[in-house]
Amino acid sequence: MNPKEYKYTKDHEWLCPEPGNKGRMGLANYAQTQLGDIVFLDLPQSGTRVAQFKKIGEVESVKAVSDLFSPASGKVLEINQSAVDEPKLVNEDPYGAGWLVRLELSDPSELDVLMNSDEYDKYEAEASA
Amino acid sequence: MKPLKKTPLNEVHHQLKARMIDFAGWELPVWYTSVLEEHKTVRSAAGIFDVSDMGRVWVTGKEAGVFLDRILTRPAQKLEVGSSQLSLMCLENGGILDDLWIFRVRTDRYLIVWNAANTEEKLDWLSRWSDSDSHVLIEDVSAGTAMVAVQGPVVPHVKTLQSVSHLPRFGYAETKIAGLSVSAARTGYTGEDGFEIVAEATKVLTLWESFIEQGVKPCGLGARDSLRLEAGMLLCGQDMDSGTDPFEADLGWLVDFDRGDFVGKKSLLEIKRQGVKRELIGFQMEGREIARPGYPIQKSGHEIGKVTSGGHAPTLGVNIGLGYVPVELSAIGTGIEIMIRNKPVPARIVNKRFYRRGV
Repeated sequence: MNPKEYKYTKDHEWLCPEPGNKGRMGLANYAQTQLGDIVFLDLPQSGTRVAQFKKIGEVESVKAVSDLFSPASGKVLEINQSAVDEPKLVNEDPYGAGWLVRLELSDPSELDVLMNSDEYDKYEAEASA
Repeated sequence: MKPLKKTPLNEVHHQLKARMIDFAGWELPVWYTSVLEEHKTVRSAAGIFDVSDMGRVWVTGKEAGVFLDRILTRPAQKLEVGSSQLSLMCLENGGILDDLWIFRVRTDRYLIVWNAANTEEKLDWLSRWSDSDSHVLIEDVSAGTAMVAVQGPVVPHVKTLQSVSHLPRFGYAETKIAGLSVSAARTGYTGEDGFEIVAEATKVLTLWESFIEQGVKPCGLGARDSLRLEAGMLLCGQDMDSGTDPFEADLGWLVDFDRGDFVGKKSLLEIKRQGVKRELIGFQMEGREIARPGYPIQKSGHEIGKVTSGGHAPTLGVNIGLGYVPVELSAIGTGIEIMIRNKPVPARIVNKRFYRRGV
């Protein structure tokens, strides 16, 4: 269920590498089920410089606010305006239509410290236990 | 930390894979599938809540009405048998100890339903004021009973509820529902039509299942909170407490001075005479940010109060909240700012009955 080709953080964000040192990021399925109905996204503007594991925004559900951390360093290329307009996309399709930010990666070697899907599956199972 | 208390329906919530949380020391479902869905269900169809966390106390005896008149802000003796009302229990200084529902069962018997928090303190308070009255029996039956709220526009048509469908608003009856002896009233905390039903703890599952079989959907604390907030209903311990008096909480209509002495009367008369300095207001966010309890309220860069309740209003599609501000800044239409994580976010004071049934 967690896509094989994605990389994951301990804060339950994912990064999907794209050609040309780019990548899309979003919230892992576990995070959206924990938060419940998401009603507000505060995402960085295009052009913003972000650093790996540093806060880049907020995700707010009916019951809770959660910080959003960047899985990698770089520059914000675009944000998913559809998800901003309709945050329930993050609940409905966290790995697809509910993506959040597209990044230009400044240091692709950073991805080596992220979990692959096998590692994350285990990590998620422990978090759920 | 003390282990969480479990309601008689606890196992059902787990079977339904509800997300469980600690609410005033009780393990209760915050949602089963989705707060938004459950909220919509109650506004458009029928939902059932496990509200067994609320305390249930019988007050019985020839002097029961006299006793309750002494500790409540509205006269209990004037309440008709088979009827109920919202009332307040105030401290001698006028602070709100709790808000509660009082049901008149017989001329000499009342049922009180109050909030889950501070049960010991409230029971002590009752026994303190009843000491001189040997003719009043106070029985906390919270542990041996359970309580569900069935709420929504479709509720009056639910077959199981035929025996109480004749009850007027706030009406109370001891009757049979799903074959069980219950106490039922046409009351609720959602802004919709519906009933609250007290049954024996060991049998409440039968009641719950009879509603589920008829398509009534389980709803959690998340929806309970968003529904009451939309309807402008206060949550004791959050929107008011012992440091709040009824007049600043805009609950002056629950204080009846036109009778003999009652606990807090002298202080409340003085508070009313002097006039309040701050007042509970409703506000609507101009944008999509959400105000949460404890966030500061500002006017032109100066802090003027705090948010006490805040959240998304699913029926209205906006974000709303309650909070206290100085009386001179409390007019409807006034622009304010809510400090959300150190950022002032514009909001506007509106009527705090955000949602009205049938509108």
